[in-house]
This record gives sequence, C-alpha cells and structure tokens, in this order.
Amino acid sequence: MKNSLQLAGVLAVVLLVQVAVRVGAQQGDRVPDITGSWERLGFGARLTDAQRQFLPPAGGGQPPLKPEPRKEWQARVQAAREADAKGQPLATNATACLPEGMPAMMGATFPIEILQSKGQVTIIEEAYTQVRRILLDRPQKALADVEPGFYGSSVGRWEGDTLVVNTIGVKESVRFQNAPHSPDMKITERMHLVAPDILWNEITIDDPATLEKPWTVTYAYRRNPAYTLLEYVCEDNREYADDQGRQKIRIPAPQK
Amino acid sequence: MRKLFAFVFLSFALLVTPAFAHHSFAMFDHTRSVTLKGTVAKFQWTNPHAYIELDVAAADGKVSHFTIECTSINMLQRSGWRSTSIKAGDKVSAVVAPLLDGQPGGLLLEVTMPDGKVLDPGVPGAQGYKRSDK
Repeated sequence: MKNSLQLAGVLAVVLLVQVAVRVGAQQGDRVPDITGSWERLGFGARLTDAQRQFLPPAGGGQPPLKPEPRKEWQARVQAAREADAKGQPLATNATACLPEGMPAMMGATFPIEILQSKGQVTIIEEAYTQVRRILLDRPQKALADVEPGFYGSSVGRWEGDTLVVNTIGVKESVRFQNAPHSPDMKITERMHLVAPDILWNEITIDDPATLEKPWTVTYAYRRNPAYTLLEYVCEDNREYADDQGRQKIRIPAPQK
Repeated sequence: MRKLFAFVFLSFALLVTPAFAHHSFAMFDHTRSVTLKGTVAKFQWTNPHAYIELDVAAADGKVSHFTIECTSINMLQRSGWRSTSIKAGDKVSAVVAPLLDGQPGGLLLEVTMPDGKVLDPGVPGAQGYKRSDK
C-alpha cells in the first residue's frame, strides 16, 4: 500500500512536470509571428485610410545632439545641401555601394524580411542585401569583445509580445540621418505587432557622448505575403567619389 | 502660407531623397529634360542602376552615344520591368534629365518603346523634374 502511494506520488509529479513542460513549450511557441516580407508603411506607396491609423506618432525630428556634435552635423547637412544645389552632390557611403548599417537599414528603403528560427531572429534588407542576426536569450557581449561593424552585435528577448533588441558595436562611419555617434552607442529596439500585419519598431539610440538625451525614432511596417525579396548586388557601380569628395558618374567613352 | 508649405515640403524632400536611392540625383538637371530618339546599343540589367546605352543619329547622320541611367533593377522590377523589357536594336524615344556636368548622359524619366508603349522607370520624386516635352 505504501509502495503504491509512493508510486502514485511519483507518477503525479512526473505528470505535473510533463504538463508544466508542455505549457512552457506552448508559451514559448506563442511568441508573435513576425516572419515575412515587410514594407515601410507610408514610404513610397500611398497610404489607405485603414493603414494611416497605424502610422506611429511623428517623433524625432532633428537628432538631440550635444552642441559640439550638433555643429558637425549641421555643417555636414549644410554642405550636402549646398553641394546638391550646385549639382555637385557629395559622395556618401552609398556612392560606394556600402550598406546603410544600423539603425538606418531598419528604415527599409527597400522591403525587409524577418525570419524567426530557433534562438535567432534574422532581418534582411533588400538594398545591398543587408543582413543582421539577433541572437535570442543570451547576454550581450562586452563592447571590447565586439569588432566595430555595420550591423553591430545584437541580442534580443521577448518581453511578452514585444521583441526587445540591444545592439552595440556599430562603426563610427555608419551614420543614421548624418548624425555622428561614439563607439559606445547603444541601440534598443522594441518591436511589436499593433495589428496582425502591422509591425512597429521603436528605435532608441543612447549615446551620452553625443546626445543630450536618448533619441527615439519609430518605424511602422506592413506585412506583404505576396512579396519575395529580390537579390541586390552592386555589379557595375559607375558612381564614384572624386578627389574633392564629390560624387561623379563614369560615362563610357563613345564607341567607335 | 502656401510658400511655407512648399518650403517645408522641399526641405523634407531634400532630406529624404538620399534615402530613396543609392545616391543623390542632384547631378542631373531638374529644370529641363531632353528627348533622345535613337537605337539601343545595350540594355544593361545591373545594380545599383540599370543603363540604356543609346545611339542617337543627328540629321546629318552623325551618331552620338548617350548613357542613360535608370533606377535600380529592384525598383524597375517592382514597376513591372523585366530584363527583356528593352533589347539592343530597339528604336526608342527616351526622356531624360541630362547630366549637369555636360557628359553625354542623363537620368531616365520615361521611355517610349517601338510599339508606342511607355515605360515608367519609377524615379523617386519624379514630379520634381521639370519636363521640357510637356
């Protein structure tokens, strides 16, 4: 009798554990499905009234830069504007077909694709075939262990229905809206579905060395299941920077 | 007030334009267009831009060569273009915003095919280019 009671107790514990594991697994499975092709809402295509309600609040405006970096930023923006007015635009990273990097690529100039796999969320931007990998549920590396790059090191976790992503290690030459930043810049993204096929990404840039306060920009995307990302390879870039830093185009010599 | 709106719109357009494309389009003349009638020597389907190499014959028979930059092949495809949309030998009429530096080239704003079909390359902010043919 005592043995059967013990057996029943063990069985009950095993059952409970199994139930707990199953519930846990179900909860794990229940993270929002954000996989698919997404297009920036209100970018290029005209908005429908139904879509307009999902536009994030207009925010950001000018980057909240500290006085010194602000001077540099203003000079750069002004120089670009004057060069454009003269018809001699300044070369940028894009002139050399360099990718935009973080967080500019999340502006989705061309459509983006989000892929959810075990322990990872991968985001691909069609232009320049930009790829970033967000590793889930693991600590961020120390900055000293991250080599500076275009996309940096990204880790993320689901907080309820929100994917919270932390990114560090973005190269100083990679600029967002022309704003300078320090090697210590930290980007926090909060991605969540505001409707089944509308995703918001609230991007906050923390960089006390250059910013007066955190700078937040929010993008909205529309899922487009009908679209498959196209390849993008800079196969023949005829634009180049001349020795004055101006963007030029190479026109082939007339054919004889 | 309308002027203010125009200013705000223009400032916004200038700010966002670089994000639309792989480079600034300020090297093309936004104040006039030229219409080039000629024979396609080559339609190059590449990124960051596609190109139409066009031979244009003057009245005296002298042929000049023009390089016409199109948008990216990704934008062209989303506008319905294919790599076979234009072929060498096609006689086309191309409306372009000419290069400001005087080189024989420009940005494609519109091209009329031999069958009269008009192809729109989907230039970002196309309404910002003054068309001399309209």
